[in-house]
Amino acid sequence: MVFYITYIIVAIALFGFIALFTLFAVYSERKIAGFVQDRLGPMETGKYGTLQTFADILKLIQKEFITPSAADKILFGVAPVVIFVAVFLGFAVMPWAPGIAPAALHLGLFYAIAIISIDAIGLLMAGWGSNNKFSLLGSMRAVAQIVSYEIPAGIALIAAVMVAQTLDMQEITRNQGIGTEDTLLFLGLWDVSDIGGILAWNVFQAPHLLLAYVIFFIASLAECNRAPFDIPEAESELVGGFHTEYGGLRFAFVFLAEYAMMFLVAMIGVVVFLGGWNTPLPNIGVVKLADWTTGLAWGILWTLSKTLLIVGIQVWIRWTLPRLRADQLMALCWKVLTPLAFLCMALSGIWRVWVIGG
Amino acid sequence: METIVFYGFATTAVGSALLLVSMRNIARALFLFFIVLFSVAGLYLFALADFVAITQILIYVGGVLVLLLFAFMLSNKELLQQLHSGTSHFFALPVWQALLIAASFLAILVYTAIQGGTDEPAWITASKMAGTAIHPTDNTVEQIGLQIMTQYLLPFEVVSVLLMMALIGAAHLTRKEETP
Repeated sequence: MVFYITYIIVAIALFGFIALFTLFAVYSERKIAGFVQDRLGPMETGKYGTLQTFADILKLIQKEFITPSAADKILFGVAPVVIFVAVFLGFAVMPWAPGIAPAALHLGLFYAIAIISIDAIGLLMAGWGSNNKFSLLGSMRAVAQIVSYEIPAGIALIAAVMVAQTLDMQEITRNQGIGTEDTLLFLGLWDVSDIGGILAWNVFQAPHLLLAYVIFFIASLAECNRAPFDIPEAESELVGGFHTEYGGLRFAFVFLAEYAMMFLVAMIGVVVFLGGWNTPLPNIGVVKLADWTTGLAWGILWTLSKTLLIVGIQVWIRWTLPRLRADQLMALCWKVLTPLAFLCMALSGIWRVWVIGG
Repeated sequence: METIVFYGFATTAVGSALLLVSMRNIARALFLFFIVLFSVAGLYLFALADFVAITQILIYVGGVLVLLLFAFMLSNKELLQQLHSGTSHFFALPVWQALLIAASFLAILVYTAIQGGTDEPAWITASKMAGTAIHPTDNTVEQIGLQIMTQYLLPFEVVSVLLMMALIGAAHLTRKEETP
């Protein structure tokens, strides 16, 4: 029975983490937006506006549940839960530190890709259930975009998996640092199995994975419906997109899911391409920086700091680049990213057979 | 505990499938289909087919169901009305084919259940003795990959050619007709 209680505690801890992360991320996003647009951002609530997001969430929690009278009551109510749970389930396989993962599946990465696709169903449910043309158009756009961009994202991940030879996310991470049992080659030439650090990350083990990571990063932006791929929520055209009719706690869940999704895709990218919980510091001669900075607490620190850095880049891009038009979005996906991703996959096969060998 | 979860999944799958076919609202029925697929994926897990379970979610929920929903949402409302105005009697003539298929399927199931009996089949006992049975912690995807690339290479290639044909056909159908 203790077995099951541990699972429940882990799930609650993850939920708490996601909620805290969202509070922090919304505040930092508004501050970064303010900085990019040369204004101050929230300043009134608390010192430098630090209590702003707490005030926001309090407001959302105490709001009344309003269901439009023409809406499909069941679908409208269930949709935010489905959207959030789909993203939340993805966190089940994420490795945080050596040996620390809620569930270390052999098929971890495959599971993560599959479970994220449930998100699309939730979005359609919200769009259809709201019985509002803006919501329906928004959710159609969102789902068309997610389904299209899953292909380059998935193939870019497969390119990395072909080099790593496993779908187990712990195993993928272990093979990018000093903890490995294989031989790791920096750019396919220099044995860095005992040096580790940034040199042993997947993106530097095989240089074409750097391209694969860029493809994955762009596609992951589209999968979380964030600018420059935010036509599903384009305020000037669609009011609020699929969540136009949502308010109160239900809106809070949709919002929570969006930020959780940002963190999740950033973390998948970090684990598969950027070394996961491995340290960026290499062993240099007698200065065993990699040995010193590998461990439980260090692992969590590296995972968090790398992921937050990637989330920071997502925010930065959102407030820097303009929105893409729908046809440009599809052209980018099908004519640029997908062929490049296939090229990466082919290169991975060649790399695995001829450069690394067997 | 496992038994409770198993029966939970089984009841959800069967219950929502029954609800699905009796439902008039097509949108809700499609979303119920999502629950059916999901609980069937859960049942696959109990058969230690984790790869099949995840593939089910990826292909059916992420692909086929989204396609169905799109087709439903973009199709003509009048067209759907026609579908609604069929006969609604359970034993009406137009449903006899369905009844026939369902009855024969039930007969096969009952027959296999009687044939199999309640004892463990001999081949399962044999593979347990030989240590070739799959354990929950085994890496099944490695086995699947090896098998596909060796024993089942020909069916795999045939399927890929078939999919390629479908892909080319779809691309051809969506091309604009050239104006003469």
